[in-house]
Amino acid sequence: MTESSYTVTVPKDLEDLIPMFMSNRKKELVALRSALAALDLEQLRQFGHRMKGVGNSYGFEKVSVLGKRIEDGARSGDRAALEACITEYDDYLAHVSIVYG
Amino acid sequence: MGEPASLQTSSLSDPAFRVLVVDDDPDMAAFLAHLLRKEGMDVDTAGDGDAALARVAEAVPDLMLLDVMMPGPSGFDVCKKLKSDHDTALMPIVLVTALEDKESRVKGIEAGADDFLSKPVNPPELLARVNTLRRLHDTRRELETRRLAAEIQRKEAIRKAFSRYISPRLADRIIQDIGFEGGPFKGNAQRINVVAVFADLRGFSGLTEGNEAGDVVEMLNAYFAILTDAAYQHDGTIFNMSGDSMLVGFNVPFLQSDAATRALRAAQDMVSRFAPVSAQWERRCGVRTGVGIGICMGEGIIGNVGSPHYMNYTVIGDPVDTAARLMQVAGANEILVCGRVYEAVRDLLPAGTITPRGDISLRGKTESVPVFFVRT
Repeated sequence: MTESSYTVTVPKDLEDLIPMFMSNRKKELVALRSALAALDLEQLRQFGHRMKGVGNSYGFEKVSVLGKRIEDGARSGDRAALEACITEYDDYLAHVSIVYG
Repeated sequence: MGEPASLQTSSLSDPAFRVLVVDDDPDMAAFLAHLLRKEGMDVDTAGDGDAALARVAEAVPDLMLLDVMMPGPSGFDVCKKLKSDHDTALMPIVLVTALEDKESRVKGIEAGADDFLSKPVNPPELLARVNTLRRLHDTRRELETRRLAAEIQRKEAIRKAFSRYISPRLADRIIQDIGFEGGPFKGNAQRINVVAVFADLRGFSGLTEGNEAGDVVEMLNAYFAILTDAAYQHDGTIFNMSGDSMLVGFNVPFLQSDAATRALRAAQDMVSRFAPVSAQWERRCGVRTGVGIGICMGEGIIGNVGSPHYMNYTVIGDPVDTAARLMQVAGANEILVCGRVYEAVRDLLPAGTITPRGDISLRGKTESVPVFFVRT
């Protein structure tokens, strides 16, 4: 995945909310890793559910997509799939660029 | 086509529409709050169901956006609780959830939710739904304001009608009780300890003979105005005005622990306030007038007496008959009371104010009753 494919356009009026949003996503990533290490599937399901709801609202479709996959993976107990999702999420957060418009 | 002028809502002068956003995800809560604030709404946020209930207990918002899946009480639980509470049942609640399945919607409807919004939230949809509920809310508030205004008007009309018979303070108390088994003027008659005050104008026939009809009525009105004011000042209930006499009751329709004292004070005020008017009439017409008053306490019957077309709130019984008899015996500016009133008030009056006046016989009774004279 290239950096350019992670470009997100966010409405200008949401600009003030984005720093907190991104900061919370990074905390979320840490929490996801901890939950996976502990194999706390219920916690993982809740994180996934939350990501699914909040991502697209801010224009971050990928966050919602990964959230849905994490929620589903937690329900089915698919550790490999969960691990892949979290790695992808890490990569996404490291490379996503935001354009306001 | 616009709404009727009186139902137009959300004008600049209206207080801000208050929304409580409840979501355990601070980013989602901030996002929703941002969208609504842009529309001029006053937005508060809560992070879980318990915090939401606490906020509502402090001040009920105009609308709630409520997440479903939260730690602690779920959105369904919070919604159900608020909708079952009389104070919050009418507050619109929009459930905001990532749940798409029909079962959750059904659960939301069962919990009493007014509308649903899916996450991810589509801003135009959110605003459309909130604005629809806001219009409904404003219309409901307008109707409630009108209902309250009509209720106030109705009570004011009742107060005016009652105030012809009872003191304004008693009228207010009765209005407070309206709706609870018909208030104090219920259909059932009841036996009650009553203090009856009968007052009569002495020298009235002399006035009628020497004056024009209009003047007589004017004088009578002045006389009754004085007696009415005195009765109301001490929270008496006027049962009857007839000719030149008036019947006032105490301890009815509400109990008065000091009913005898109130009755006596009212009688004393009647005599003292009428004295200057009487003196003026004497100078003008050459006729001496005064008020003769009888007071008696005992068990009477109160109730609405009459036909379906004409009714009087009436008191009847021994205390009324005896007070009438005492009034007949009393001279101008004299107050005569029965033994029970004497016992009730004698320790409250200066020595020598109340003295025995012998016994009088009552119509239809074999025994005579002791009478006491109250110096005014």
